[in-house]
Amino acid sequence: MKQYIRKADIILLIVLIIAGLAASAALSMSRSAAGSDARVIIESGGELYATYPLSEDRTVIVPSPQEGVSAADVPDDSKPASEQFTHYNVVTISGGKVSVSEASCKNQVCVHHGEISQGGESIVCLPNRLVVRIDPGSSGEGGGYDSVTS
Amino acid sequence: MTQSPRNTRPAASGSGGSSPQRGGSSAQFVARVALMASLALIFSYVEAIIPYNPGIPGIKLGIANVVTVIALYKYGWKEAASVSVIRIIVAGLLFNGVFGMLYSLAGAVLSLIGMIGLKKTGLFSVIGVSMAAGVLHNMGQLLVAAALIEDLRIFFYFPVLLFSGIAAGILVGIISTMVLRVVK
Repeated sequence: MKQYIRKADIILLIVLIIAGLAASAALSMSRSAAGSDARVIIESGGELYATYPLSEDRTVIVPSPQEGVSAADVPDDSKPASEQFTHYNVVTISGGKVSVSEASCKNQVCVHHGEISQGGESIVCLPNRLVVRIDPGSSGEGGGYDSVTS
Repeated sequence: MTQSPRNTRPAASGSGGSSPQRGGSSAQFVARVALMASLALIFSYVEAIIPYNPGIPGIKLGIANVVTVIALYKYGWKEAASVSVIRIIVAGLLFNGVFGMLYSLAGAVLSLIGMIGLKKTGLFSVIGVSMAAGVLHNMGQLLVAAALIEDLRIFFYFPVLLFSGIAAGILVGIISTMVLRVVK
């Protein structure tokens, strides 16, 4: 009778775990604390849609590229997004934190992602091809998590 | 009713024909794959209706892959690949959506290649093969996501998907081992 777990399985498991730890260590180093001039960058369909200062509170409606919205009909941020578009995301910047508060997609992954506030963090909505990320700005450069304690 | 004589003919000609591999005749192949694909589809469905959201996309047990692993070990790679692809296409049309189907297909192709390769080496147990498949499945999905969104930042999900792939793969492997012990 064959063994249920063999030596090669354990070796493979260890290699995979090391790869995962190395990747997460590399990724956490690439993140840095957001500086005072940090900006929220919103990309839609692989192109830059808008950027806003992280320090200013606002709500932004981002129509999906599949809406075929022209520059002429800019979304009215004061009206509910669902009245204006069928495919959209609503990005909320509040108190130095960014979240996707509303999304037209079925899975709602971006909404459940919660808030981001660190430089380099991002929220992604695949169905609407939206990327929201934080550019740490100049004063946040190289700070990392340690800048909180320094 | 009137079709039954027609259905038996390929079986008769197939068993004496050019494909006497260990799967048997082509009718046996079709019946076997159809049965396993529908079983896998039920697993997919059960998983889809369980209201479980860990907050991160792409993380699920993938219990339907138990059927793929069993198909691979009990019959062969042709059966495993057929079951996997049929299950994903039908599940995509029924409940996962076209995008979900695209991700799953990429994951399935990668994990099938990985499983067949690792099984051929003869070094790994069912659990090891399934673990590698779980990781590769998630990596395939990540690659498609990166291509669709045209942003490599999505690789922030890499470690999360890697560890969840390991965990899901091991669980699927354990279940498969238990089932294979009985059906073999």
